[in-house]
Amino acid sequence: MFRITSIVLASSLLILTQTLQATETIVIYSGRSDNFVKPVINHFSEQTGINVVLHAGASTALLNKLSIEGARTDADLFLSNDAGTLQKGAELGLFAQIPAAIANQVAPNYRAPDNSWVGLSARARVLVINTHNPLAKNLNSVFDLADPKLKGQVGITNSTNESYIAGATVYLLAAGKEKTSRWLQGLKANVEGKVFNKHGMIVKSVASGKLAAGLVNHYYIYRHLDENPNASIAIVLPDQGKDGIGVAWNVAGIAITKHSKKRELAEQLIRYLVSAEGQQLFAGANREYPTREGVAASAGLPAAGSFKVADVPMYRLGTMRNETIDLIEAVGMP
Amino acid sequence: MNNRSFGALGNSALAVVMFAAIPLWFVMLKSSELGWDQWQQLWSSRLPELLWNTLSLAVLVTIICFILGVSAAWWIARFEFPGRRYAIWLMVLPLTIPTYVFAHIYTTLFESDGWIGLAWTGIFGDSIPTPDIYNIFGATLTLSLAGFSYVFLMAHAALSVSTQTLEEAARIQGAGKWQVFLRVNLPLLRPAIAAGLAVVILHVLSDFGAVSMLHYQTFTLSIYLQMSGRFDYQSAAGLSLILVFLSLTFLVLERFFRARQRYYTSRQTRQHQRRPVTPFVTAMIWLWLGFITFMAFLLPLAWMMSWSWEAWIHDVINQKFWQYAYNSLLLALLCATLAIICSLPIALFNNRQRSRYSGALIQISSVGFVLPGPVVALGILSFVLALLPFLYGSLFALLIALVIRFLPLSVQSQDASMQQLTPSIEQAGRILGATPLENLRRVILPMISGGIASAWVLVFIDTLKELPATLILRPTGFDTLPVRIWIEASEEMLELAAPAALMLVIGTLPVLWIMMKNETKYAS
Repeated sequence: MFRITSIVLASSLLILTQTLQATETIVIYSGRSDNFVKPVINHFSEQTGINVVLHAGASTALLNKLSIEGARTDADLFLSNDAGTLQKGAELGLFAQIPAAIANQVAPNYRAPDNSWVGLSARARVLVINTHNPLAKNLNSVFDLADPKLKGQVGITNSTNESYIAGATVYLLAAGKEKTSRWLQGLKANVEGKVFNKHGMIVKSVASGKLAAGLVNHYYIYRHLDENPNASIAIVLPDQGKDGIGVAWNVAGIAITKHSKKRELAEQLIRYLVSAEGQQLFAGANREYPTREGVAASAGLPAAGSFKVADVPMYRLGTMRNETIDLIEAVGMP
Repeated sequence: MNNRSFGALGNSALAVVMFAAIPLWFVMLKSSELGWDQWQQLWSSRLPELLWNTLSLAVLVTIICFILGVSAAWWIARFEFPGRRYAIWLMVLPLTIPTYVFAHIYTTLFESDGWIGLAWTGIFGDSIPTPDIYNIFGATLTLSLAGFSYVFLMAHAALSVSTQTLEEAARIQGAGKWQVFLRVNLPLLRPAIAAGLAVVILHVLSDFGAVSMLHYQTFTLSIYLQMSGRFDYQSAAGLSLILVFLSLTFLVLERFFRARQRYYTSRQTRQHQRRPVTPFVTAMIWLWLGFITFMAFLLPLAWMMSWSWEAWIHDVINQKFWQYAYNSLLLALLCATLAIICSLPIALFNNRQRSRYSGALIQISSVGFVLPGPVVALGILSFVLALLPFLYGSLFALLIALVIRFLPLSVQSQDASMQQLTPSIEQAGRILGATPLENLRRVILPMISGGIASAWVLVFIDTLKELPATLILRPTGFDTLPVRIWIEASEEMLELAAPAALMLVIGTLPVLWIMMKNETKYAS
């Protein structure tokens, strides 16, 4: 027992005295899956020799951590899948400004007004429908999902999902509080208390015919089609046409932390991420839409610009977040 | 007795407890920022539902764990049947699987194309849909399967050392089998069962993995959502404070019922003989034990292995994977060792004093276990940054948090093993001229070494599985197996999570063996 103890204590001393002080290393607090970030990061490291450490976690937990750590933080960059979380970090004053020359390569809609973060890839909130189900035939708006005809036929995620909250924020801003509230109430009645934890399961249930339609991020549909090319599902880009509000968009994005001691290296990474090559790799890893104009999305996706997108600047997903959560809770969404 | 040494022991116990209460100070500080109307709003809007959800879950899990744990312990300790020794193992193996992995696996199994889902449609057809497990049923299922082993362990240990005299006396007086069980065995077992159930209930109250995976709104999940959804620390702290209050009430009650239960048995009395059984009874026992094992271990294991195979093909198990395994192991070794050292003064002090004060120290030391992991982590984070900033960024902050989280496991286990340390034994040592320290080293420690070993193992296992605090406090770039499971599973890529889960099981086996060796020393 005592021998084990002393060995353990000795090795712990060794660890405790170790610090992360390699010169050319930058640290990203990352709320995005490693598998989607690694391809582009590895490329960057190969080209520049700069080592990038991905410290993964839930976006919001990492933001909490960043805010408590203050100047002691190791993080040079903060990466999140959700514009709302990024904007929240900006409001808490956790980020440094990204030089305009870099930020401007991304359209103003996809970045913070003060350039404290930039969006890197966009995803669309779309409908997945079962192609054999007559109920799903004429669905062309997310608001159709609240139609009583679809009782027990609609799949949505639980109301704490960040994509779900972001989507609801867009509808709140584009269609008004009253319409959104009525929509949520209709949805609540239609799902009959059963919601999903995983977008993938919604797509699966629609494909198996258990549901007529579901509300998901576009890439989940393609992920399912990869494995089941003959699945009887189709993607519907909702709310098109003259009177439609357009598709709800959300972006994954990145920010430089206020207390980063390696701002130049961090800027270098962002410069790469918004370059044509970086954009292709970053967005392509999860088949999302690049935020830099002129870079094409992965093959097989409806081309950006070929459909209408809701006219809501992405930073509003942060400023309106609490109101959306209030509304969702007031309706009592499961 | 020597007053000075008493004071030293008391002081070090107090020091450890003050340290353990850091997250509590944090929660109190934060919730003091809540205004009166915010409290009122919390009270009216959330509390009734949260209280109901949390308490009903705790009650259900307790009942199921009691049934599973005590029935298995009874048969294994009292009957001689083929494969009995393996059965002990099978009943503790579920401890190697974290609750979030259980939840994860069972949600997948219950899906329409999962194994249970397919079996269900095979048997019942499409007419009856597969049961939904995103509710109290699912939460009860996963938490019971993950927790009943604690009850089994404690009940089995108590049954193995209990003597036959009392039972025989009751039988002579004409009591029937069931009467003996209800009026002699159960009361005798009560401290052990209570200790096991207490560990289970504390796990339920603080569980984050399973309830968040199943979206069952308990205090822990709600606290987390307050922090993550709205960045509302104050409300989160307010809810945490209520949770602490709830847990402490429970612990005080548990102690109260246990207080008057101390039995000193002398070693000379006749030990229990296990009764041989007929093949039919053997079959019945194995049917039951087999069912438990199947649900709690074999099914999850099969799932992990089949997905790990896919991952193996996709080359996920590479050098980095071994690094994660090493990190987990190192953390668990350090944390378990530190925790038993820290808990020793508290348990010893309580064993000597048996006063209200020493009891209170034990209760306060359990705060880390009942607070949700993320709250403990943020409390420690604030503390270390404010007072020990030079240690930040090393493993140190994480180690403090984990030791604080799992200290109660170690305190409980050591405290229980000290029950057999009768005052006379210590006095004998002192009369023969031993100094207090010598007494500790030569008399007390050897006597409670079994308790220390199982305390060490319990903390080791829980640290190995710990997720929420590790996620927040680990040094940059320091990933453990649970962290990897979480990262991979969060993007709905299950096959990548399976090898890490499997590795956790394998990594726990050697330490389980240490504990079981200890266990069977008395039993056989």
